[in-house]
Amino acid sequence: MDKGNKMDDQHIVTSFDEELKDLTDGLVSLGGLAQIALRNVEQSLRMNDHDLAKQTIEADKQINALQLSLEDKTFNILAKRQPMANDLRMVFSAVKVSLYLERIGDMCKGVCKRIVKGDLLNAKSPKTIDALVNLTKNVQQSLDLVLEDYAQGKAQHALDVWKSDIKIDSSYANILSAILEDIKEKPEAIEALVPLFFIARYLERIGDQATNIAEVTHFIVTGETLGDDRKMEVEDETVF
Amino acid sequence: MKLNGDLIMDEQKEQNNIRNKKSLIECRGVDVFYGDKQALFGINLDIGEKEVTSLIGPSGCGKSTFLRCINRMNDVIEICKVEGNIKIDNEDIYHPDVDVVELRSRIGMVFQKPNPFPKSVYDNVAYGPKLHGRILHKDDLDAKVEKSLERAGLWSEVKDRLGEPGTSLSGGQQQRLCIARAIAIDPSIILMDEPCSALDPIATAKIEELIDELKDNFTITIVTHSMQQAARVSQRTAFFHLGKLIEVGDTEKIFRSPDHEQTEAYVTGRYG
Repeated sequence: MDKGNKMDDQHIVTSFDEELKDLTDGLVSLGGLAQIALRNVEQSLRMNDHDLAKQTIEADKQINALQLSLEDKTFNILAKRQPMANDLRMVFSAVKVSLYLERIGDMCKGVCKRIVKGDLLNAKSPKTIDALVNLTKNVQQSLDLVLEDYAQGKAQHALDVWKSDIKIDSSYANILSAILEDIKEKPEAIEALVPLFFIARYLERIGDQATNIAEVTHFIVTGETLGDDRKMEVEDETVF
Repeated sequence: MKLNGDLIMDEQKEQNNIRNKKSLIECRGVDVFYGDKQALFGINLDIGEKEVTSLIGPSGCGKSTFLRCINRMNDVIEICKVEGNIKIDNEDIYHPDVDVVELRSRIGMVFQKPNPFPKSVYDNVAYGPKLHGRILHKDDLDAKVEKSLERAGLWSEVKDRLGEPGTSLSGGQQQRLCIARAIAIDPSIILMDEPCSALDPIATAKIEELIDELKDNFTITIVTHSMQQAARVSQRTAFFHLGKLIEVGDTEKIFRSPDHEQTEAYVTGRYG
């Protein structure tokens, strides 16, 4: 291949590279904020830490603002550069990933609101709280893996995260059953127990968002969507 | 992602497979030489009937040379030699018995720069049918001119200016006049060599709209430097590089997730 036509990782238009890097950096930052929010959720739940929960509620504004700014950058890149192939996949997916991360922020905020407004101690259900903390840790692990993949432009954990999500769904179902049992046994604690339903639901949904990010990352890297056949294969492997 | 290098024949055969479409043009092992310099290397490409195929690639990659093989325009270049096999509708167009004038009457061509004849709008369109002796009566010729201009989306703009010089029209109108002139001889194939590169965005949009309409009746092969234009107008896209066909496939696939890394580097603007 002659020098005049050599292939390069860089675009001929260097400002396009800068814009893509800026977008990716922004998404990694947004992912970092979502990770912090989820870590705070875990600690707030474990320690019944209302102050930290309130800080997390407040910090969601930062996540929303960053998401909007990334959406704006993506819009400008699409309008100015009309990206193709892997650039198109990356830019298109950036919109989706930023929305998934923003939703994770919303759900962390939702959990924290339940912690602040509810009364976890009066639920008198330490096992359920422990199960919720464990669920949060599992969800955290999934999010960490997909964000690591995203930042590195790899899709090595996509299928693992998918499998984890099936376990997360199963844990969620078990937690719901346990809360129902608690309500039957301790009807006087129903007001403290009901928020736990919502917390479990938010956490399960965060797991779904992590799975969505894994799917998008797989698409960016391979150009192919993870088909339903592969999903069913994974589900079959993961049946308990 | 495949590694750089020549595609093996199996892959090329697979890529050349045109789903649900008859291949009107079949090219096998096409080599082109300008004197000692080889410009095309073993091109195997099928072009489907009544669809638009875009040829893309950097300047000098051989896409226009390939286009000009299809109507034997390269014959007029003395030092140019074409080898291999090109069939149109199963007929070997390089067979010694082929009448090149008759062949070209089946293949319209539109060039980068609008090139109307120094004649009236009417005569520009009527010239081909008259030359080939296909229409003898004035009424029939009038109808052919009107129909061709209508199909080229130009009739409403020029119906009161048929006697004016073709060169008095705007650039975009001149290009559509050239398209009307090309289709007036009822070709089955229209070759377009960067037909919009000299036009403004509005005129370009009109040509693209026209290509979309014409594909129902004609097999269109277009050379373009605009990736977005290839994505908009064509169903199949072929990427050429340094005289070789690197990849051909559904346009959507080429611009979303091409198989070959050279294609990806080109369509994303990473050639340095």
